Amino acid sequence: MNDTATPLESFIGYKADTGMQCGNYSIDIPKLQEGEQYRFHFDATKCVGCRCCEVACNEQNNNPADIKWRRVGEMEGGSFPDTLLLFNSMSCNHCVDPACLIGCPTNSYIKFDNGIVFHDDPSCIGCQYCTWNCPYGVPTYHEERHIVTKCHMCHERLAADQSPACVQACPSGAIEIEAVNILEWMANDIDTSGNMPHLADARLTNSTTRFTLPDNMPLEMLKADEHHLKPAHGELPLVFMTVLTQMSLGAFGALFIGDILSLFGFFKPTWIFALLALVPAALGLPLSALHLGRPLKALSAMKNLKTSWLSREAAALGAFTGLMSLNVALYFFDIATAVRLGFELVTLLVGIYGIHAQAMIYRIPARPSWDRFSTNQKFFTTAYSGLFLVALALIISGTTDSATPLLSSAMILSVIHGFFTLGAYNELKASSTPQLEKTLRLYRELFATLHTLRWITLGLGALALPLLSTLLIASGLTSLAIITLVLGFVLIVLSELMDRFLFYTTTVPLQMAGGFFVGAQRH
Amino acid sequence: MINTIKNFLGLDIKAAKYALADDPMFGRISDAKKPDKWVFSTCGYCGVGCGLYIGVRNGKAVYTKGNSAHSVNMGTLCPKGLSEHEMITSSNRLPSPMVRKNGKLQNSSWEDAFTQVSKKFKEISEKHGSSAIGVLSTGQLLTEEFYTLGKLVQLGLRTNNYDGNTTLCMASAVMGYKQSLGSDGPTGSYEDFQHANVIVLVGANISDNHPILKLHIEKNPNKPKIIVIDPRKSKTAQMADMFIPLKPRTDLALFNGLAYIVLEQGWENAEYLKANVTGLGDLRKHLQNYPPQEVANITGIDVKTLYEIARSYASSQAVLSAWTMGVNQSYMGTDTVSAIINLHLLTGQIGRPGAAPFSITGQCNAMGTRETGFTSSLPGYRNYGDEKAASEYADIINVPLELIPTQRGYKYGEIIEAIERGEIKALWVVATNPLVSFVNQTRLRKALAKLELLVVQDAFMSDTAQLSDVIFAAGTWGEKEGSYTNSERRCNRASKAVSPPGIAKSDFDIFLEFSGYFDGVRELIYPNWKTPSDAFEEWKRVSRGQLCDYSGMSYQMMELHGGIQWPCNEQFPLGSPRLYTPDIGFRTYDGKAKLLPLEWIPLQEPTGEQFPIILNTGRTVEQWHTRTKTGNIDILNDLAPEAWVDINPADASALQVKSGDRLSLSSPRGRVDDIVVRVTQTVREGNVFVPFHFNTQLINQLTTSSFCPKSGEPNYKQTAVQLHSVQVPQGIVMKSPEISGTLSYESSEVQSVPKTTGHIVQMIRPF
Repeated sequence: MNDTATPLESFIGYKADTGMQCGNYSIDIPKLQEGEQYRFHFDATKCVGCRCCEVACNEQNNNPADIKWRRVGEMEGGSFPDTLLLFNSMSCNHCVDPACLIGCPTNSYIKFDNGIVFHDDPSCIGCQYCTWNCPYGVPTYHEERHIVTKCHMCHERLAADQSPACVQACPSGAIEIEAVNILEWMANDIDTSGNMPHLADARLTNSTTRFTLPDNMPLEMLKADEHHLKPAHGELPLVFMTVLTQMSLGAFGALFIGDILSLFGFFKPTWIFALLALVPAALGLPLSALHLGRPLKALSAMKNLKTSWLSREAAALGAFTGLMSLNVALYFFDIATAVRLGFELVTLLVGIYGIHAQAMIYRIPARPSWDRFSTNQKFFTTAYSGLFLVALALIISGTTDSATPLLSSAMILSVIHGFFTLGAYNELKASSTPQLEKTLRLYRELFATLHTLRWITLGLGALALPLLSTLLIASGLTSLAIITLVLGFVLIVLSELMDRFLFYTTTVPLQMAGGFFVGAQRH
Repeated sequence: MINTIKNFLGLDIKAAKYALADDPMFGRISDAKKPDKWVFSTCGYCGVGCGLYIGVRNGKAVYTKGNSAHSVNMGTLCPKGLSEHEMITSSNRLPSPMVRKNGKLQNSSWEDAFTQVSKKFKEISEKHGSSAIGVLSTGQLLTEEFYTLGKLVQLGLRTNNYDGNTTLCMASAVMGYKQSLGSDGPTGSYEDFQHANVIVLVGANISDNHPILKLHIEKNPNKPKIIVIDPRKSKTAQMADMFIPLKPRTDLALFNGLAYIVLEQGWENAEYLKANVTGLGDLRKHLQNYPPQEVANITGIDVKTLYEIARSYASSQAVLSAWTMGVNQSYMGTDTVSAIINLHLLTGQIGRPGAAPFSITGQCNAMGTRETGFTSSLPGYRNYGDEKAASEYADIINVPLELIPTQRGYKYGEIIEAIERGEIKALWVVATNPLVSFVNQTRLRKALAKLELLVVQDAFMSDTAQLSDVIFAAGTWGEKEGSYTNSERRCNRASKAVSPPGIAKSDFDIFLEFSGYFDGVRELIYPNWKTPSDAFEEWKRVSRGQLCDYSGMSYQMMELHGGIQWPCNEQFPLGSPRLYTPDIGFRTYDGKAKLLPLEWIPLQEPTGEQFPIILNTGRTVEQWHTRTKTGNIDILNDLAPEAWVDINPADASALQVKSGDRLSLSSPRGRVDDIVVRVTQTVREGNVFVPFHFNTQLINQLTTSSFCPKSGEPNYKQTAVQLHSVQVPQGIVMKSPEISGTLSYESSEVQSVPKTTGHIVQMIRPF
């Protein structure tokens, strides 16, 4: 038997005779000049859709089969025999203005001097906000690790002049690393060479990947996964958290107005009412930590107040809840009304800002169904549920004369809320945005029953039963009115939870074209 | 418990598992998978034959990395190669031989398994003659193993009813080379993709099946003109400068037509023909039946395009025609291969850099079995019936001449028919899975049920293994030593990186030990053989002087040079990149290649009212053949977990289906349900494509028992079928030919003349 040594001791210095970057484990790229960064070049005219890059990436990074940093998408256009199959092999586009980095509440993204958008694993809390923000769906949540992970252009290999795994693996030389002058790219070339069918406009985040596309491409390129209709994650902890904090804002608003009106002789709220306003938020906020991969690190979500709406929300709603707690003490120890009113005004403003920040989290181009003014409208008007809560408490405490106007206000606000909700839905019907069309299909094809239930519960809980209860109050049947209103309130909460669930689960993100079976390979 | 809590709270992000570390050979790679050693080897999937290293950590294969210094792949590997180490630890591996007891397969000792099979073989031999034993082999073993198996079957068991699954893929190329050039043996090299000015890919979807070949095309500095001839706009067709969407199974007529034009225009290479070729007169006469207009009618390719292709062959410095299953898997596959060779001979496009008619092999070592395997010829491409060759062989291996078979036994399909007739009583299936891969499954299964004994030797619990009476559990790629020969005759070294699971043995050891159960056989055919190198040394002597000459090779050379292309001897110490150069003559009796008159035959199972659609089958890059190897590798299987049917939008709308819906397909032989629809313009109206890998949607239930009479290769590629959707269960209504064309001709439009003729011919020869 022969035991001869392998022909080469090491491939690091070895250059295969391909004339391309592929095949070699080391790479020749010029040192970066001032104003330059590294980027990918993908040549779609060379790619044959063999998926070597996908597998090579996972092998390099030890990622399991369902965590794909590099994905190959398929598109088709034209008609037989002039059919064009177009492949898009994409990992991270290492943007000039990365949406992942801007939105990250924990500053876990770092744009290296060489342009690589790097994810710092230890500081990540697994909030997955980056997976929402990236218009390419690049960051992917790794359940086993409880954090998000993404392509880093094999930066450790590059630093040692070694080829990234995908570049090394491509038998067509379709994937290359290049240096790009950022200003020149942004001034001209990004519009002509930065775009690929079905990808978000490169200008959105100033993506740096250069694409070479075939000449005379058919106008319409269909995605191979066009037939997929997959609901997004339901985000149950966030469903509860958002609805409950919004309810608190409404309840606190009612408390504040009640406190002002008490100056004019109306019912004077007690510490119990102050506590009541606090309870939903106090329940909801900690719940939100449950959607984190690493809930114990929830507090670090406030690290990036400078650019992240998520940080702002966490800080503002945290403060709102804290201030509301203090406010309970102010009531309990009967601190002077003027001081308390001032304090309540500040608290209310913090709360309003908190819900504003909360809504702004969803105002992201990568999720068109969220990125609509109706999101802000709906988030604020969900506060009507807090009004109902306080009104119910008033009736229970026997002050029906104060309760009735509040109940009317609650009903009016709920009608406004209903209109905003309906408007948002009707907007889907009128839209030709592919993502919004799919959102509508999700409503109709997968969640029709839930959607109907949402409206029935809203109609009953926010209108029919409250009206009945006012009649009952007028008739002096207070205990029956209470029962009616409790039932109504339960229905309202259910209705808003359903609506919020639908909000999350029917969103369809901007995403690259995927594979026929696997789609874009994102959960 | 603490870990569960830690895990739930995300306290452990498993940084170590996903960290990188420095490897001296490949640089920074996964730390958790960093190998203790790298083992030089060659990929065990397809016939491209990529050089690679297997990374081994604690006795387990953890990495497969391309060898940058290997001329075949220059560091790259396809997705199957990149994940090949996972195949070794696949959950359907067989760790132990098994014997069926009380109707159930149970683990057994080797002794039990060997005793039971040898006893039965002897019993059947005595009662019905040794030819009542049939053997179906493969293209997956090592060359040393093929040679060893061939000897055991032909000289030990003494049955010539022995064939391989290579008959399902390459047999037509083998027989075509033989009848035109005098011997099997692919003529070209991968480097010819780099030298050619024109690359013709006919019936070859290399993007899915041999993606690494794209590297060689990409390296070509001449910006070659790429002509893709295929009824389907495949991934490969996307590379084409000229896409030729010929009608299904009209390839032979196309090449005849091109040859006609070459001769008509005087474009033939007269000098080359005079010196090297016979049969020009007969061919010229025969081709009168294939004038351009007639060929245009048959193929659906217009006359102008035919001239353009013919001119490309005639006027280019170097033309490479590469083909795979589209050509081979045909009831006239052998003659189609010869028709391609005819064109290359006429234009002198052979034996020069970049010029070759070149078959691309499907399996990693289909070549090895062709050279050594004792199926289509005696070892070393010695023809059956050639007495001189037979006695030469008997002398070299020191066995009595009467032991050497004088004629080829049944081919694959004939073996199945012989089982049907009750002629063959026992079948030994080695590393192949006919229960997915063979045509007309209903008929096959009925036949196999008649067997008295079915032995399956495999590394995986295949569909066929599940049906067997005895299983010989074998080692697979990475677990054994030897060599593979790739499509370009390059003999590559395959090494053992890890041991087979449980008590499974390498195929070589199985053959050796099994032979010991037959009196005197082991001593006679394997004298003092212990390791595969003993087989290799004998094989080198056997092949000396033959076209596939290994006599100058050694394992060390294979490693050092990244494989050696035979012939390798004193004249070509480092092998030869191509055959039929001025130094290597044709292996015919007169030393000249033969131009052959070849007849095109219309579809044997034409479409009709009941079955109006043509079904084409093939492969996808993520899966390997019948998925015994790839079905349990998630990263591959997830990408293509089930079969699908490619269907033109026009047919989809007739069936009221869209992508993602489900269809059934039926043919006169059966019905396959629950195939997911993929609406696509890559197939023409009236044509569908379904990959054959999947036992879950067993498309070979529909295919027909129609074989090339010369090679025995089944015609997988055209089956008349009907499609049934939930909305339109009765299926597609056949469109009647447009005879109204005649009217429009009379009404003035001169342009419609060729069109009209086309329709009339279409009526005569419905496609």
